[in-house]
Amino acid sequence: MNKFLYFIDSLKEEPLLIQIVWLLSFVLFVIIIISIIYLKFLRTHLRLNDKIAEKYKNEYEANLITYLYSENEEGLISSEQQSIIKQLKNGAINKFKREIIISTLLKLLNEISGEMADSIQNLYYQTALNNYAVAKLKSGNWYFITEGIRELKLFRVKDAHKDVEKHVNHSKSEVRKEVQLYLVNLFSFKGLNFLNDLKTPLSEWDQIQLLEELQKFDDQEIPDITLWLKSENDYVVIFALKLAKIYNQFGMKEILLELLNHESERVRLELIPVLNHLYIVEAKEVLKSNFSERSREEQIEFLKLLENLGDENDEHFILQHIYNNDFEIRLSALKILKNINLSKFENLELTKPEAEFVEMVKFIKNN
Amino acid sequence: MNDKKKIVLAEDNSTLSLLLKFKLTKEGYDVFVAEDGKKAIEFIEEHNPVLILTDIMMPFVSGLEVISHVRNKLNLQTPIIVFSAAGQEEMVLKAFNLGANDFMAKPFSPNELVIRVKRLIG
Repeated sequence: MNKFLYFIDSLKEEPLLIQIVWLLSFVLFVIIIISIIYLKFLRTHLRLNDKIAEKYKNEYEANLITYLYSENEEGLISSEQQSIIKQLKNGAINKFKREIIISTLLKLLNEISGEMADSIQNLYYQTALNNYAVAKLKSGNWYFITEGIRELKLFRVKDAHKDVEKHVNHSKSEVRKEVQLYLVNLFSFKGLNFLNDLKTPLSEWDQIQLLEELQKFDDQEIPDITLWLKSENDYVVIFALKLAKIYNQFGMKEILLELLNHESERVRLELIPVLNHLYIVEAKEVLKSNFSERSREEQIEFLKLLENLGDENDEHFILQHIYNNDFEIRLSALKILKNINLSKFENLELTKPEAEFVEMVKFIKNN
Repeated sequence: MNDKKKIVLAEDNSTLSLLLKFKLTKEGYDVFVAEDGKKAIEFIEEHNPVLILTDIMMPFVSGLEVISHVRNKLNLQTPIIVFSAAGQEEMVLKAFNLGANDFMAKPFSPNELVIRVKRLIG
């Protein structure tokens, strides 16, 4: 004790800087000791948690397997199954146990198909786990909502669709994406009806995911897309254009032609390749009539269309653009001319002797 | 003496391996479950099974390495059925090149697996 007091007294006589260094050393020492104790406690706690989780996982795995193999011959729920349902239902009240039960069910559901997969979905219902997932949809935290929707999708809970649809215009794109995937995954093309109410953006990635989901279904009969082509949401129109192209919606010709005058340039740019794909030749006259008023990108897209759909009737129009100031437009016009009138194209070299022009003609001639 | 036919099942999904063990045991087979490829090789060397069921993606030693070990190092012609997840088509081709006899894409039906097992080993 005396030594300590002597140390304090001598420290008081030291310069201020030395005193501060000693004080800081002491504070750091205390922080390190507290951190070590906390980490030790945390590690013990996590290990204990892991052990408990492992114990429950083994218990629930065994329960699940027993449940799957103790079905009645008539396909009814046996008394053994009833007792397992009761046990799991009680366990599910606790959040920690509920998460283990759900992950156990999902672990197997992702790996197997057929009757057993149906039985797992049935068990999910019987244990009322769907109620907890639906309750998550009312959470104020977007992450829980996403988690709830994903769970309902994985266990194919169709009757929660009204609760899920409420989030179709959620401010978080993650939530919206889960809503869309839930609806399409469970209801196929009918699930696309969310597009009627969509007021928010539909990203390119979301569109790709939806199209991929749709391709998984055996029934590829697409519903009427008129409403979506006429939507006020440009993202919906663009997605409907993709549907029109992939599912060859020739019947949409009139509406597609109307879209050539859509106020959004992005829509018009997406539209022209669709018209090209569907061989809608009527689009040519519309586009020719106001070619100069359209953006450069639209003009290039239209010329790409003419590379595919152009004929001798377009020659006059094309000849007006073979000397265009824009290189890409000039190149495209020359290609089209080669397709529709080869002899005129071959004589072009003589009409304009500029080196660059002659080079372009030669290049197109040889390719 | 145990005259049941022995099967080594290499699968890192404990729930799936438990389900398949239960199913195959019920069908009269003696099933040894390995949670990784390393353990599977140990079981194969120790028990000389009549059939090997293996997942492709496993910790430590993959299913492909298990097949290679059985065919090239142990020189055994034991039938091998491979499990693969969707999108692992290239892996499946590699498995066949290494000597696998059959494959099942996940998710699969356990009942179908039993039919395939019976077709291979009776």
